[in-house]
Amino acid sequence: MDRNKILLNIQRNKIKPVKLPEPFYSAEKGVNKVSLFKEILLQIGGDCIEVNTTEELNFLLHNNFKNATDLRRNKLLEKFPSSYSKESLEGLKTVILEGQFGVAENGSIWVNDSNFPNRLIPFISEELVLCLDSTQIVRNMHDAYFKINNAISGFGVFISGPSKTSDIEQHLVYGAHGAKKLVVILSHENILK
Amino acid sequence: MTNHAHRAGRFLKNEERAAWHDKTLWMIRQKRDKMALDVPGWEELREQASQIKRHSLSKLNDYLVQFEEQAINNGAQIHWASTAGRLNEIVYRIIKENHASKVVKSKSMLTEECGLNPFLEKKGVKIIDTDLGERIIQLKQEPPSHIVMPAIHVKKEEISELFHQKLHSEKGNYDPTYLTATARLHLRQKFLEADVAITGVNFAIAENGAIVVCTNEGNADMGVHAAPIQIHCMGIEKIIPRTSDLAVFIRLLARSATGQHITTYTSHYLKPKTSGQMHIVIVDNGRSELIGKEDYRDSLKCIRCGACMNTCPVYRRSGGHSYHYVIPGPIGSILAPHSNSKKYKDLPFASSLCGSCSDVCPVKINIHGQLYRWRQDLSQKGVLSPIKKSIMKISGKILTSTKMYDWSGRIARWCIEHFPRKLIYNRLNIWGKERELPEASRESFKQWYNKNYGEGGKNGQK
Repeated sequence: MDRNKILLNIQRNKIKPVKLPEPFYSAEKGVNKVSLFKEILLQIGGDCIEVNTTEELNFLLHNNFKNATDLRRNKLLEKFPSSYSKESLEGLKTVILEGQFGVAENGSIWVNDSNFPNRLIPFISEELVLCLDSTQIVRNMHDAYFKINNAISGFGVFISGPSKTSDIEQHLVYGAHGAKKLVVILSHENILK
Repeated sequence: MTNHAHRAGRFLKNEERAAWHDKTLWMIRQKRDKMALDVPGWEELREQASQIKRHSLSKLNDYLVQFEEQAINNGAQIHWASTAGRLNEIVYRIIKENHASKVVKSKSMLTEECGLNPFLEKKGVKIIDTDLGERIIQLKQEPPSHIVMPAIHVKKEEISELFHQKLHSEKGNYDPTYLTATARLHLRQKFLEADVAITGVNFAIAENGAIVVCTNEGNADMGVHAAPIQIHCMGIEKIIPRTSDLAVFIRLLARSATGQHITTYTSHYLKPKTSGQMHIVIVDNGRSELIGKEDYRDSLKCIRCGACMNTCPVYRRSGGHSYHYVIPGPIGSILAPHSNSKKYKDLPFASSLCGSCSDVCPVKINIHGQLYRWRQDLSQKGVLSPIKKSIMKISGKILTSTKMYDWSGRIARWCIEHFPRKLIYNRLNIWGKERELPEASRESFKQWYNKNYGEGGKNGQK
């Protein structure tokens, strides 16, 4: 009933068709995507650790993130099925996830529900560690959505830095509701593969 | 009934706070400028956004139907609400049918417009706003004063006292980090308890039925992924055709709103979680009428970034509450009279028409042009106050006659110089309430020009 009413009313007020513009192309040349990504990530309160070899990566994970819940490569995916209770997820301190690709212009990383078994995980943990291959960084959001190519899956999100708020007198505070800390492990040489 | 000027007067009584408000919002405007300058092709991007929105509005029916089809394919349930009341009923029905009682909600200007919170509270549903700013004003029982920073008018000392009373935080601790941590703990509990999570919608994608929501705090996601039932409330104008179009808007939104590159979370909801429900309520509430008004149609392009508020010299110095409408500032002053032209007749006049709002608008709405247009329409509708009407009439007569204009100028100049203060700054001179008239010069510009540049004048043509 409401549906028809609304659609009819729009129909009645039909306006002249306006053409959809040609896709936007921005000619940003000579951008070093990796260094821009790192620069902006630090600006927005994220941490960045770079690794060059598998040994370096393992050493880092072993030393700095010993007690972290590592959800990369389906390692522990079975442990947190989507039906897992939210109260038990609440105890998660540090979670390590695979990031699919990064966006240089805003320091964000794309993940979707193929990267985590329960959608609450990237948000409910105190600290979020995203592993990113440095070859997987695109210039801007146009390239980002081109790369996604409509394969968002059931849920997907660009995460850019730790959760934050400035709602109290514009004073910036990290850790509003989501992760208080965001670390990106940026690996060169394709070692995440 | 008080009008915008009276309420602005109240806001300005606290000089220190008003100055802070003005300065802080201007700072955000400057952050926005820096961002805009850093993006190559920013102006083309704005033009692109404007055209995509115009196109979407011109094919809105097709896109709404396409969106519905796609969303249903994804497993979402679609509801249509022609009025505010219908939205409230639909949301309540979903809550009741699922025997739910606890609801969390992230920021949604639409539900604010429709009065969803008071409606649900009357029905005995506990609804908690989860954006920190919104939670503050919910506890304070006030409406938001800004669409992006709802508690921009509240000082940390007040928040500290409020949290002490309601959330039992330490008395006299004004530290924003401490206060935010207090709210985090309090709201974490609410997220875990909630049966239903409600969100607003930034963009809805026709080609795949996706709902896109942008937050910095992560509150929309905490709510949506923790609660078994998610409800997204969107106005019909939120539709854009393709995922690729999103790039244009996501690049513009946070940069225009707060001077960030992007919000912390840009979430795309397509399918319900396993054994969860996903509802989308598509709301009209006067929007389809607005499409028919050619002069005002463009206001439906608005993506609610708040840039026009941050830049507006009137908004910055009068505060969001002085507008008395759910959306304050320049864009709100265009939208408000559509819902009630009598009640909000003063809002299109609460502007200097400087055009700064139109300059910063990421979707290029001709905001000040529409404010000017409203002034004429309101005058034709005959809803203006008798005083305003007669002043306009007299001004019109004077300004269209050279003789009258010269003569009245002479009189005014003489009066300002010779009249006692009391007589000039009288009750009828509203303009002079907080302002000083400039010192009057002896001669008019015309006289000065004729003397200096006119025929036979000093520098004039001989």
